[in-house]
Amino acid sequence: MKYGYYPGCSLEGISAEYDDSIRSLFKRLDVTIEDLPGWICCGTVAAPSMSRLLGLATPLWNVARAKQAGYDQLIAPCSACLYHFKHAAQQVAESPALRAEVEAVLALGVPLASLPPTVHPLEILSADAFESRINQLVQRDLSALKAVCYYGCHISRPAKVMQFDDPENPQSMDRLMKWVGVQVLDWPSKVDCCGAHFSLIKPGIVVDLCTRLFESALEAGAEAIIVGCPMCHANLDTRQDEIAAKLGRPLNMPVLYFSQVLGFALGLSPDVLGFKKHIVDPVPLMLEKCHLSA
Amino acid sequence: MAFRHEIEALSSQNANLCFQCSKCSASCPLADMMDLKPAQVMHSIRLGREEAVLNSTAIWLCLGCETCSARCPQQVEPAAAMAAARVIALKRGIQPSVKEVGIYYRGFVDNMRLNGKIHDASVAGVTQLLTGQFTSSLPMAWKLLTHGRLKPPPLPFGGGGFRRLYNNVLAKERET
Repeated sequence: MKYGYYPGCSLEGISAEYDDSIRSLFKRLDVTIEDLPGWICCGTVAAPSMSRLLGLATPLWNVARAKQAGYDQLIAPCSACLYHFKHAAQQVAESPALRAEVEAVLALGVPLASLPPTVHPLEILSADAFESRINQLVQRDLSALKAVCYYGCHISRPAKVMQFDDPENPQSMDRLMKWVGVQVLDWPSKVDCCGAHFSLIKPGIVVDLCTRLFESALEAGAEAIIVGCPMCHANLDTRQDEIAAKLGRPLNMPVLYFSQVLGFALGLSPDVLGFKKHIVDPVPLMLEKCHLSA
Repeated sequence: MAFRHEIEALSSQNANLCFQCSKCSASCPLADMMDLKPAQVMHSIRLGREEAVLNSTAIWLCLGCETCSARCPQQVEPAAAMAAARVIALKRGIQPSVKEVGIYYRGFVDNMRLNGKIHDASVAGVTQLLTGQFTSSLPMAWKLLTHGRLKPPPLPFGGGGFRRLYNNVLAKERET
């Protein structure tokens, strides 16, 4: 299986630690991933708001390039990028006229039929094949850590587009975290929205939505929230002082990417995994919870 | 072309399939802030209430979380219909009723034209400057900077592919 890798803009900027942890994790698991050459932004919700054609051609540029490079799958760790890839691919698959139109503006000479699937890293790692591999490599026992897994919007929703996991009660991250011992708690807010890009324009809305998430995580008894999307992470990690004021109680809850928790369990160092870049420092909790032998 | 057909042409969403169960409105995380709720947007599209839809805050407050689309028993995607309404509104020169969102989407695409990718801190800075939130966003910028999460903008040498695509789209849309 030849995997292409599409980091996306956030992972080159504010969420560099997600990128670092994904790369080091795949290396630790001996899975080779190759950066998609010359990738461009997926256009997210901005491009399709300007023009339908732009909103389809922009993400499909990357998928077409992945096909050109001969990848079997293209990995996109940002669930917003992933949604736009899958959505655009589905739109052109359903309409030959639209497909011809997008092919013409892309002018890459790549037919947009039988495109390689785009996948979230969770889809690869939570497959049965990895369970024994991960079990063999575990170096730190995380069985004292109580956490909730937060999937946000696009890892599995909408099912028609994402075609992965359960859109209302996804399990892939829960499974993966349980493999390394984490006590994954049940909670009702797994797939609620964090407010995403409104952080830049309507921060009050994001604070409101994230306050509900923390309320729910605290009620479940979580010590940390585990995520798989750079926007979820940024919103939950960077606004805890404002959220604490709304909750009327102190809040200092580490928010970690599944790739960081997994990498940590497999023995990677907090530095390699980018723990220091978090606003809420996860290091004390993680060191306390794992029975560190070294 | 009737308004609902215009929406359909841009989004493949047939508003006539909606039977007004309002599951979309009940699922929307921002319904309480919208003037028209998602189910009302769908009904307005059916009724041809063009002005009401294109001037609504709903179409600009939609986060694209897709909860409405995921839960619709008729497999209609209100989020896609609202994205189509945004495109039509802009094409007609109707100012986005939530102006900050319009400024952000425009600035985002403009930033892509520099380098093919966006530089997140530039997009944030420009958006906050143009929406009058620059000063109030400084504490956040400082927090991110001191945690090594802001990078300097790249030189604009990499966006050739996207600019070509963007110009092709403009040319194609001018034809039609």
